[in-house]
Amino acid sequence: MVSGYELKIKMKRNSSTKKEQQFWAYIFLFFPLMLLAIFVFIPILFSLVISFFDWELMASQQKFIDINNYIEIFGDKIFYKAILNTVLYTIGVVPIQTMLALFLAFVMNQKIRGRTFFRTAFYIPAVTSSVVTSIIFVAIYSKEGLLNSILGIFGFAANDWLTNPHTALISIMMLNIWTTSGYFMVSFLAGLQNIPNSLYEAAKLEGATKRQQFWHITVPMVRPVTYFVVVMGLIGCFQVFDQVFVMSDGGPNNATTTMSFYVYQNAFRYFRLGYGAATAIVLAGIIMIVTVIQKKYFPPNPY
Amino acid sequence: MVKSTLKYIMFAFSLALIASCIRDKENTIRFSSWQSSPSEKRLTDSLLHCFAKKYPEYNVKFELIPGNYSEKIQLMLGTHTAPQVFYVKDFVAPSYLRYDVLQPLNEYIDKNTSFDIDDFYPQFLDAFTKNGKIYGLPKDFGCFVLFYNTDMFKAAGINDPPKDWAELEEFSRKLTKDTNGDGKIEQYGIVVEPSIDKLMPFVFQNMGGFQDKDGNLTLNTPEFQGALEYYYGLYKKNIATIPTDVSMNNTEEVFGRKRAAMVISGGWFVPQLKDQYTDVNYKVAFLPKGKQMATIAFTVAYSSPKENSLKEETWKLLSYLTGKEGMKAWTSTGIAMPTRKSVAAQLDYIKHPEYKYFMGSVDFAKVFQVEYNERWYSITQSAMQAIFYQKADIPQKLKEMEDDMRSLRLKK
Repeated sequence: MVSGYELKIKMKRNSSTKKEQQFWAYIFLFFPLMLLAIFVFIPILFSLVISFFDWELMASQQKFIDINNYIEIFGDKIFYKAILNTVLYTIGVVPIQTMLALFLAFVMNQKIRGRTFFRTAFYIPAVTSSVVTSIIFVAIYSKEGLLNSILGIFGFAANDWLTNPHTALISIMMLNIWTTSGYFMVSFLAGLQNIPNSLYEAAKLEGATKRQQFWHITVPMVRPVTYFVVVMGLIGCFQVFDQVFVMSDGGPNNATTTMSFYVYQNAFRYFRLGYGAATAIVLAGIIMIVTVIQKKYFPPNPY
Repeated sequence: MVKSTLKYIMFAFSLALIASCIRDKENTIRFSSWQSSPSEKRLTDSLLHCFAKKYPEYNVKFELIPGNYSEKIQLMLGTHTAPQVFYVKDFVAPSYLRYDVLQPLNEYIDKNTSFDIDDFYPQFLDAFTKNGKIYGLPKDFGCFVLFYNTDMFKAAGINDPPKDWAELEEFSRKLTKDTNGDGKIEQYGIVVEPSIDKLMPFVFQNMGGFQDKDGNLTLNTPEFQGALEYYYGLYKKNIATIPTDVSMNNTEEVFGRKRAAMVISGGWFVPQLKDQYTDVNYKVAFLPKGKQMATIAFTVAYSSPKENSLKEETWKLLSYLTGKEGMKAWTSTGIAMPTRKSVAAQLDYIKHPEYKYFMGSVDFAKVFQVEYNERWYSITQSAMQAIFYQKADIPQKLKEMEDDMRSLRLKK
């Protein structure tokens, strides 16, 4: 019980320190903000600026070329190929990874034997460095590797997954689904644990099956989490880089050149920083548009 | 309380400021290189140590760049923080020479006649020369030769390495075998790869080239096309393999693990054969002759940035490293071949059972340089992959390559 007098003192104390609190808030915010500014905001603005230049590292003077970089992008065959690859990649990965993550979380939320072990097992790929998982998968996908020997048992001919232009992108997609669904499983698990048990109990009383419970209680109730998972998944897919860099280097014949990889290639392999920045800006624009569309048509909380 | 915190912050700031002001000693020569093997690093250290002993008045600081070398050097040149001496590969030299960033060395070379610039093999100097100005001194070179497995040759009843294209194909056919009788080929005649570097010797042997004297592309020519068709033909006829088909990383590994009887590689493969693949009996030979003898050579130079407050000191180090004494120390382990005639003679590499093929290749070896933006390499790699993996039409791909590359020509 707080008496009126004590309350007054408390309020007074609070109000008297408000200024000081604000001061501290700014002090604490200052360093992270400064770091963000130096390493994020300023570079973003600067890349916008240099996308209008023919920017070369070693040149003594940079040439302003207006929107010529952007004009070149729209006539660049490889850029279109990169967009196509990225879109295919996203369409393939995001739905499967989201559904798989939800399914895994649903199963892991049941009281089954060895639950902790399974949770750990599914989460390990998410905490393993993507370079490491990529190298493991390079071995699995190689012509005399694990995947081909398993398929060989069923009589399939050996395929070199990463140098065959028809399968290279799919191979990287499979790797990505495997690594990220564990991570998103944890997000869904947190969401599932927020669903009050009373809903399931009520459904059980009404005679709903496990499947009906899943589709009519679990799926709608974790919708905010689904939204988060889909947005993060989309952004992650649009920016996929490390797996491509390690596993296929954009090859064979540009079959796995994604947009962010193409940005990297232009800026740091071909040393065309201006053109690379312009492609990065276009990539950012595309991600923004997709997120806005998603937000408009699939709001996180329709209720 | 607020005041004291501010004091701490100010203190931290000034510490950071002081830390950023601590610099190397005034006259320290910074030296940067990549490192292809631990033994190369040891060699660099010992060479710099010798220099320090001979010239104790100079300080040299070795700053190793372990990865993304070209990116880092370009960035340092662009931000005026480049080391005084660094490696430049022949491959990237055209794009470096385009900008006015490297120090022309002519005045120093002319002043110091004892340096003896005429002692260098001219094609290696030419790789770093533009309009008569020398921007880099080649420290060593390597070139493609043919390695062949003598046991496999003996088993197939062949005594000598192939001398020309016809023999290369004939021998490859004889050496391609299903050794355990399971219907699959275990041993291929030769291992190739979808890469422009390995193709270019064949193009030069076929009297072709990547570009003509004026810099126009010459991919869509009978010479280039003929070489590519021959090279790809070895693979198509199933008498050659590529590393990915046998789940290996590179052609050297395929040869070392006895899945192919021949491989085209350079001097860097010799230590690997001696340490890693000790059970492989091999010999070295010149690349087989097409219409003419040809191979490609790789060279690396020491260069120095134009912006440099220690020009005299830098020249001291440069002239030591590429002088007769320094180059002899550098190449005496056989890690690479000397670019000076006198050093090659002194080390007796011209008569050495293996090295004589590298030194002998100098007569017909070409340094492969392309005056196009670095993207040309990706374009050619993609095209080679399309040909090898997707059986793309060769003449059409060559035409496409030219079309895609034309706009990438380096501005003069």
